Amino acid sequence: MKPTLAELVSVSKNYGPVAVLKGVDFSVRKGEVHALLGGNGAGKSTLMKILAGLVPATGGQVQIGGAALSPATPAQAQAMGLYLVPQEAHIFPNQSVLENVCIGLPQAASAYRSRVKDLIARMGVTLRLETKAATLEIADRQIVEILRGLIRDAKVLILDEPTSALTPHEVDTLFTRMKSLRESGHGLVFISHKLHELRAVSDRITVLRDGFVVHSAEMAQSTDAEILAAMSPGVTALNDRVEGKIVSEEKVLQLSHLSGEGFVDISLEVHRGEVLGLTGVVGAGRTELAETLVGLRPRSGGEVLLEGRPFHATKPSDAVKQGIVHLSEDRQQYGLFLEAPLYWNTSSFVYHRLPFFLRPGREQTRFETYRKSLGIKCASADQPVNSLSGGNQQKVLLSKCLAAEPKLLILDEPTRGVDVGARNDIYRIIEDLAAAGTSVIVISSDFDEVVRLSDRIAVMAGGHLAGELPAGASTDAIGQLAFESKETTHA
Amino acid sequence: MLNWIARDRVATLLLVTIAVLLAVGAAAPGFLAPSTATMIWSNGLVLMLIALGVFPVILTRNIDVSGGSVLGLSAVTLGLSLNAGFAMPVAIALTLGAGLAAGAVNGVLVAVLGVPSIVATLGTLGLFRGVMLIATGGEWIEELPETLKALGAKSIGGLSVMGLCTMVVIVAVWAFLRARRGRWVMVVGDNRAAARHLGLPVKRIEFLAFVWGGGMAALAGITFAAQIGFVPNQAGTGIELRAIAALVLGGISLLGGVGTVAGVVIGVIFFTSIDTALVFLKIPAYWNDLIGGAMLLTVLLIDGRLRIALEARDRAARYHRGEAPTPQSKTLEDAA
Ligand SMILES: Nc1ncnc2c1ncn2[C@@H]1O[C@H](COP(=O)(O)OP(=O)(O)OP(=O)(O)O)[C@@H](O)[C@H]1O
Ligand SMILES: [Mg+2]
Repeated sequence: MKPTLAELVSVSKNYGPVAVLKGVDFSVRKGEVHALLGGNGAGKSTLMKILAGLVPATGGQVQIGGAALSPATPAQAQAMGLYLVPQEAHIFPNQSVLENVCIGLPQAASAYRSRVKDLIARMGVTLRLETKAATLEIADRQIVEILRGLIRDAKVLILDEPTSALTPHEVDTLFTRMKSLRESGHGLVFISHKLHELRAVSDRITVLRDGFVVHSAEMAQSTDAEILAAMSPGVTALNDRVEGKIVSEEKVLQLSHLSGEGFVDISLEVHRGEVLGLTGVVGAGRTELAETLVGLRPRSGGEVLLEGRPFHATKPSDAVKQGIVHLSEDRQQYGLFLEAPLYWNTSSFVYHRLPFFLRPGREQTRFETYRKSLGIKCASADQPVNSLSGGNQQKVLLSKCLAAEPKLLILDEPTRGVDVGARNDIYRIIEDLAAAGTSVIVISSDFDEVVRLSDRIAVMAGGHLAGELPAGASTDAIGQLAFESKETTHA
Repeated sequence: MLNWIARDRVATLLLVTIAVLLAVGAAAPGFLAPSTATMIWSNGLVLMLIALGVFPVILTRNIDVSGGSVLGLSAVTLGLSLNAGFAMPVAIALTLGAGLAAGAVNGVLVAVLGVPSIVATLGTLGLFRGVMLIATGGEWIEELPETLKALGAKSIGGLSVMGLCTMVVIVAVWAFLRARRGRWVMVVGDNRAAARHLGLPVKRIEFLAFVWGGGMAALAGITFAAQIGFVPNQAGTGIELRAIAALVLGGISLLGGVGTVAGVVIGVIFFTSIDTALVFLKIPAYWNDLIGGAMLLTVLLIDGRLRIALEARDRAARYHRGEAPTPQSKTLEDAA
């Protein structure tokens, strides 16, 4: 058997009275990619943070390269050749991209300029080294985090959901890098909620549920059904789309020749109770369009009609009051109040409707209903959001939008970092909302998801509307519009 | 020019400072002379040293309001040890030691014990002042030797020894912030969790920033004693707030992670110029605070407006389709 590079022996972790990990064994060998899977809140990130010295374990041993990790600090783990690319990108907003990648390396950033450039080119992305990191979009932030991991050339590299904000193209190039690292004898851990991604690169798989290892085997010997059953008993695969839905003719939202930051001349309609999928590659202008609609960005031309009346939000509260609610793609920066209790977050879109003296009891009840319907995994409603796992944070974000009871709900990447079971739940909730007459615009880079959800699909490319497709269009057709028209606009 | 302003507030401030100086020069002939420049420099020395001390602390997203008391404590250490007959170098070493020790107390409280810096240094602000008063028994220290006063008097090229020392410190801080480890100080304030994650010794950096602040306050104490020749009880009271105001004016963000040495220098010079100009214009000294405060607000307002306008321009340019950097071409196979 190949030598073990890093190992966790019966590690346990408690947050106060809550046991998050209960005697977990985990190892990474030389020259392998080890997949780590589990539902939201299963403890994957916590386990990896323990391995990287970011969080102290309550019990058990952590070993890197045969020696115990002591003192248990990230600096020590890095010195022993292990680096963790975290789930949520931690960037230095006031530093350049280059500095962001190179901070903490043994030489000054300028010494690594050409290597970073080379890595960026090999990843096939455009990212200027001098850009101030504060201006980066979430996908680019994730790229910065990945670059940090690659440049450090650690013997053990842990990637915690690196693909959640990336488009298929970037995911592919990342996989190529991962494979070449494996060939050169590195050990990798890869966390993702997408089984097909795990299959594409991994040699071994470990499935975590409620703090226990419930499955651990060679990837080739594990079937999808086996893995899914281990992860969340009862869920086998994603539910299929209900066919034959009839959408009302009534138009809720009409855009005519709308232009703004990052998009031009968009004309669209959304009907009552319709789910419109808005897709394209990152940078196509989808997020900008949504943010302009709700008044987060200035509009430069065109008209919007909401239920037949002109609508122009100059600030987000205008939009919320008139029934348009937007779920941001960047939950950490724009979506959640990270230090505030969960139930405050759920109420945060409806504060203008709450009584003068707040009634925390009612707000907690409201949170409780969403906790049940979304399956949010938490210890109490008073917990701050940043103590939840990534996927559960996403569910809290969704609950806040639902609480506003909008006419039109704009969801930007609603299932980022959400596990299969919860993804099913979110799809069901979107369908229920639509059935109850709410119109939904779902922005997603995951073409499968768009096809699964949409009654109609609008594809954007390079700031233009590349075309519209009916329900049930193939992902190939979407891809064709999303990528090809881009090349023609540049020709 | 606009781009230059866009890069940092230092440019706005520099222009305003020059405009104010020219205006005063027009009103009071004789103001625009090299001697005024050296006067502003030496009047601003103590404030400059305190500001340079607080600067790294603020960069790490902490604050140190105990600078004035550390100044007082150091000046008293100097005065007492000189009057007790210690040689000048020994006395200076003791003074610096007192300042560094005071800084280390702040550092331990914040970095090791995790007390919020504003609370910790408000506490030590009183504590150090108290130690100073007990040491002197509430008396002023007078009759300091001439050798000490010589440090504050003009000697080489119109500058004092302490003035030259300060210049050396400015250059040293500038060089340090350009170095790899200097960058660490900035990033700790920018995102502490990220800095820790990347393996930086966050606590040590915070601790050392406070120690540096103590050391600079001790230098300020020496300068203070040398310039006025005695040490009153209230030596340095309130100077920390002036230093922080000067830093804010110079574009150093209280949220940490942003700031330049040039900003520190210009911020301090701006404040001192106004005080000096008021003397020249024969405006009674009790107007100083009002005029200083009004100027501070004016500069911040002008700068804020400029910045909003420039940002709007940048955004417009960034989102102007067609000029945007060409996205990587992607092929259909990649999508599949
Ligand atoms: N600082 C904390 N305080 C209290 N509880 C915490 C804290 N951090 C994590 N937890 C809890 O630990 C559990 C495991 O979290 P973890 O982030 O490891 O999940 P995960 O498997 O990475 O999930 P996801 O797929 O959603 O990222 C969660 O239930 C979470 O609420
Ligand atoms: Mg996680």
